[in-house]
Amino acid sequence: MPVTSDKASISPIDPVLMTVLANRLDGIVREMTNTLLRAARSAVISSARDFSCCLVTGDDRLLAPAEGLPVHIFGCHIQTANMRRYHGADIRRGDAYLDNDPYGGNTHPADHTYMVPIFIDGEHLFTSVAKCHMADIGNSIPSSYFVLARDVYHEGALVFPGVRIQRDFKNIEDIVRMCRARIRVPDQWYGDYLAGLGSARVAERRLEELCAKYGVATIKRFMEDWFDYSERRMVESIRRMPKARLVNKGHSDPLEGILPGGLELTVKLEIDPDEAIIHVDLSDNPPCVDVGLNTSLGAATSAVVGAIFNALEKDVPRNAGSFRRLRFTYAEESVVAAPKFPHSCSVATTNVCERLVNITQSAFAQLGDGHGLSEGGTGLGVGMAVISGKDHRRNDAPFVNRMMLSTNGGPSSPVADGWVNYAIPVIASLMYRDSVEVDELKHPLRVTSLSLVPDSAGAGRHRGAPAQEIELTPTGNDVTAVISCDGQHAPPRGVVGGYAGTAGSTWRISPNGDISRLPNVIQLLLKNGESVRGRDSSGGGYGDPLDRDPKRVHHDVLEGWESREKARDIYGVVFIGAIEDDTLAVDEAATGARRTELRTARTTV
Amino acid sequence: MGYRISVDTGGTFTDIIVFDEATGSLHIGKALTTHGRIFDGMREAIAIVAEELRRPVPDLLSETDVLIYGTTRATNAVVTKRTAKTAFLTTKGFKDTLTFKEGGKHGPHDYTYDYPDPYIPRRYTFEVTERIGSQGEVVVPISEVEIDEIIATLQVRKFEAVAVSLLWSIANPSHELAIGRRLDALLPGTAFTLSHELVPILREYRRASATAIDASLKPLMQQHLREMSADLRAAGFAGDLLVSTSVGGCQQVDELIARPINTLKSGPAMAPVAGRAYAALEGLGDNAIVCDTGGTTFDVGLVRDGSLVYSRDSWLGQRWLGDIMGTSTVDVRSIGAGGGSIAWCDSGGLLRVGPQSAGSIPGPACYGRGGDLPTVTDAALYLGYIDPAYFNGGRLKLDAAAAARVIERFAAEDGSPPDQVAAAIMTVANELMIKAIGEITVSEGLNPRESVIVAGGGAAGFNIMPIARELGCATVILPRLAAALSACGMQYCEIVFEATRSRFTESNAFDKAAVNAALAEIAAEVETFRSRFKGAERAHATTRFIVETRYRAQVWELDTPLSVGRIETDADVDALVEAFHQVHERVYAVRDEASPVEFVNWKGRIAIKLFEPPPPPPSVAVAYAPDPDSQRSCFFVETGRRQTGIYRGQRLLAGAEITGPAIIEEPTTTLVVYPGLTAKLSAAGNYLLTCA
Repeated sequence: MPVTSDKASISPIDPVLMTVLANRLDGIVREMTNTLLRAARSAVISSARDFSCCLVTGDDRLLAPAEGLPVHIFGCHIQTANMRRYHGADIRRGDAYLDNDPYGGNTHPADHTYMVPIFIDGEHLFTSVAKCHMADIGNSIPSSYFVLARDVYHEGALVFPGVRIQRDFKNIEDIVRMCRARIRVPDQWYGDYLAGLGSARVAERRLEELCAKYGVATIKRFMEDWFDYSERRMVESIRRMPKARLVNKGHSDPLEGILPGGLELTVKLEIDPDEAIIHVDLSDNPPCVDVGLNTSLGAATSAVVGAIFNALEKDVPRNAGSFRRLRFTYAEESVVAAPKFPHSCSVATTNVCERLVNITQSAFAQLGDGHGLSEGGTGLGVGMAVISGKDHRRNDAPFVNRMMLSTNGGPSSPVADGWVNYAIPVIASLMYRDSVEVDELKHPLRVTSLSLVPDSAGAGRHRGAPAQEIELTPTGNDVTAVISCDGQHAPPRGVVGGYAGTAGSTWRISPNGDISRLPNVIQLLLKNGESVRGRDSSGGGYGDPLDRDPKRVHHDVLEGWESREKARDIYGVVFIGAIEDDTLAVDEAATGARRTELRTARTTV
Repeated sequence: MGYRISVDTGGTFTDIIVFDEATGSLHIGKALTTHGRIFDGMREAIAIVAEELRRPVPDLLSETDVLIYGTTRATNAVVTKRTAKTAFLTTKGFKDTLTFKEGGKHGPHDYTYDYPDPYIPRRYTFEVTERIGSQGEVVVPISEVEIDEIIATLQVRKFEAVAVSLLWSIANPSHELAIGRRLDALLPGTAFTLSHELVPILREYRRASATAIDASLKPLMQQHLREMSADLRAAGFAGDLLVSTSVGGCQQVDELIARPINTLKSGPAMAPVAGRAYAALEGLGDNAIVCDTGGTTFDVGLVRDGSLVYSRDSWLGQRWLGDIMGTSTVDVRSIGAGGGSIAWCDSGGLLRVGPQSAGSIPGPACYGRGGDLPTVTDAALYLGYIDPAYFNGGRLKLDAAAAARVIERFAAEDGSPPDQVAAAIMTVANELMIKAIGEITVSEGLNPRESVIVAGGGAAGFNIMPIARELGCATVILPRLAAALSACGMQYCEIVFEATRSRFTESNAFDKAAVNAALAEIAAEVETFRSRFKGAERAHATTRFIVETRYRAQVWELDTPLSVGRIETDADVDALVEAFHQVHERVYAVRDEASPVEFVNWKGRIAIKLFEPPPPPPSVAVAYAPDPDSQRSCFFVETGRRQTGIYRGQRLLAGAEITGPAIIEEPTTTLVVYPGLTAKLSAAGNYLLTCA
């Protein structure tokens, strides 16, 4: 912690000034985030928070990300590099670029990435990047998630590989017209475009002010020192782990008639505390598939990097400096991180990536109690479906949107229970829930119930978060719901003796009350009088449920999250009294005996 | 001519300000808050001023026309979970509304904390078979038989209060009203709140949370406010008792017994009221950033274009994890930062301050209560900014040797000079506050460079000048009575009442009839309030209409002012749409002319001026450079350690100009004037700090 009073000295930078500048950059990215969040139109951005903002250096190194989705963390630097490769010397102040090319570092085509090159004294010093999941991107079906897309042609997305969309701060209207001509509900897309671009432009103004205040030389020096500092934090964090080679596998859900067994996915991690490096090997995975499940390099790497950060000290800066301590090995051509044209990456950020997060974070639990996390609930079920149709209340005006009404349960950790509002592993609890009233106002739907499912959580010393169940029905015209759920067959697994969570389901309820189970991936036409019911999955447990603090079990039973029966049979906790008259209490003696009994029964089996 | 007293009871201190109408002067008193009986601490603080004025306390009270009481009783009850046993009644199928909250989490990689509990436990939640649709249509009728069964259960299980929040009650309140009627009939005297009456706004969680909080506070606040009233009467007070509210105004006791939620966060809401008054008094424009630095929290609020800034996003506890208030409140953001924040060095070698805090127990090392880690207060003491014998008006003697020990030990860890390290701790601590100010100004579209800062709270003076300099704010106002900023604000406040109706419509199919019906209902409610208010018929009153507005498909609304009380013509609609474009452009830097605009919640806010604010003192400022009262060794980064002038604030006259480095000590606050910057005592008795 050397402290110098000479603020003009720039080699090395004054650490207090480094703190100040890091705080300024963080403030700028937060301002970008706030601008995008509040000004966006589609619920997928403003509620589901499926967007992220970051700053990249002029030479394509990730400098400052926001608290954005972990699945967006890696790859923006490849996109800015491509922008420079495509446009060379013809990049200047006032430009903005649109990129959504899944083969060029982007996550998947639904993520429109807006890049603004920022010039200080004529030098391209930063690129501000706003990446937003669009509610529609002109696919052949009314959803930006198309699991069954055979290839990019079947998928149908408009793809923009680093295309200039503004010059001299004005739209290049050709590009805007192309989007408007093809994207469903074009005003919604345009509103989100303005929000994303506004966000990137805010960063431009602020960085210009920052450089004017502190001087370009100081800012440049700061960037190098900040990368070095971040690398030191990463080194320290990796050095605290044991040396180990971890191999973990998992399965995605089957696709009816296409991938009957689902996909077996493998993540190999080699933790080398001596060199302070983590080697990530993603090469042992199946080849590309003829559906939209192929993951881009950006999405798959982000999923794994995010899960690695889940296992590290929680405030290690995430940037090109800390990433120096991660090494990656990929296959030549694979469903994981190595898509080959024209294979579709339509759902690259969700299905397979959700599993990659789970496989990676639970791999660390192989290091023993105290490490890693259990698996979190997966799958975009009914409550997160993309719905579309014509609104009878507004002269049949078309609508399309992704809902965020119910979510999966989160994973448990060595010290905490699962988070209720988890969504999916790649969203990691960052989303906002939709309001039932807002969704009913905006869409011709009625939610008939929405609640937690008792006894659904994966048991453990720390328990996964319970599942949720939702039922909804159209109030006018038929409504199309596109459900691309990867969480209805292989349930989230527990670790270190924790139990698995429960898988999700989708059911159609006919006007006469008949209930029929539907496949996990389906484009559903919901007719007036019919309902759809969806159950999300719950998080897996961490540690032996017989070691769970009886006070926690007491709380769960009081709140109706777990039944007295499950408490007795799985947690070995016995109660006296009743919930209704506030007399429920743990029977300490009976609990001790019951736990001994359950442990003995295990060893004899 | 008599007195006007304002009281701000905080968690630790009770601040009072007495306005002497005869002399036009303001007096400050401070005492420890007595949680058992709030009046005891209040009387002690009043006694300090009474002595200064040479009047016995009963005489002072009997000559007081108005007493404005700011209470944290409700806030404390929520924090310590001592509210009433409250039942939550909601639509069947939606019992988890309070558990689900609105989502959001801090730290995508942080799995070290549990999911928060709902405000009312699930086992105290009762589902009512009924459903209203989004257009107000009855989808499932309500059954009186079932209501009565539920109420019978509530009686058996001895619930003390009932919160009723049904889906779409804002579109059709008949089901909530039916429950209300049966509660009145079967459980007379049991407090209850109906969501459509308290906060008729869209979004079921916000309405349910507000309703739950309000109902749970009713029994307690009813008792507390009646006791307070009786205590004051018994002590000789015969004037008007008013209570401050979270909209930055005050109201009569009965209004708050009916809606106790409005007393939450009322203390912080008063700081921007004071800030607005001081900025106007000094002629420094109508945009202000108002900072209140306490011992453990730092609050920031705004004044924009002479108006307070409101938010529907106020939380009890942390954002997303606590419970949303749902009501419209003065927007004040609070962060945990203060003198107790601990300095440490992370594994990358960077100096960090907080979020760990030594709090007040054990507190900073210099408190001598066993604290052994370097804190911000220890750094300030080490740098010479605090007189150990005069901290907090001499009420707490500080242990300078202990501060030196922890700072020097911390510095020795890597061999840096302790003075440099102590100064670095201050700078890093400032960053937390700069960030908090940045967040609120960014989200409200206010440019710090075009604003003045008004600083209050006992600890404000240590660092407000470098903070202002970093933000590019040229001027800071630090009132002499800065330590009691909220109580000062109450001397300038008005009776404020807000009425709301939810009426959704769009610009391209604007339903004038429905909107005008809503506005008429709001106007009638506001007028009823006004006519009920004794003394209001001759008072000056202004009513403003506001609508929460957004572009089609946006989720979050912005407050847009209406220039008229009715929407008669298409031109009126166009004007309203244009007003929204302007607000949106100011806050988000973009406008979308082509998009339809959606109008969601309509509000009317009446402000009744019941009393005149204190006039500025008549003194004229004649510029002069005072001599310091003493010298002390202080360290500043720019100058190094040297003897620095110490000025006793009470001896300074209007017009005094002091150039840093210097320290100005007031009985309840200390002001550090950094090298090259200046402080000037204005004619109105405020320190004007030039930071550019």
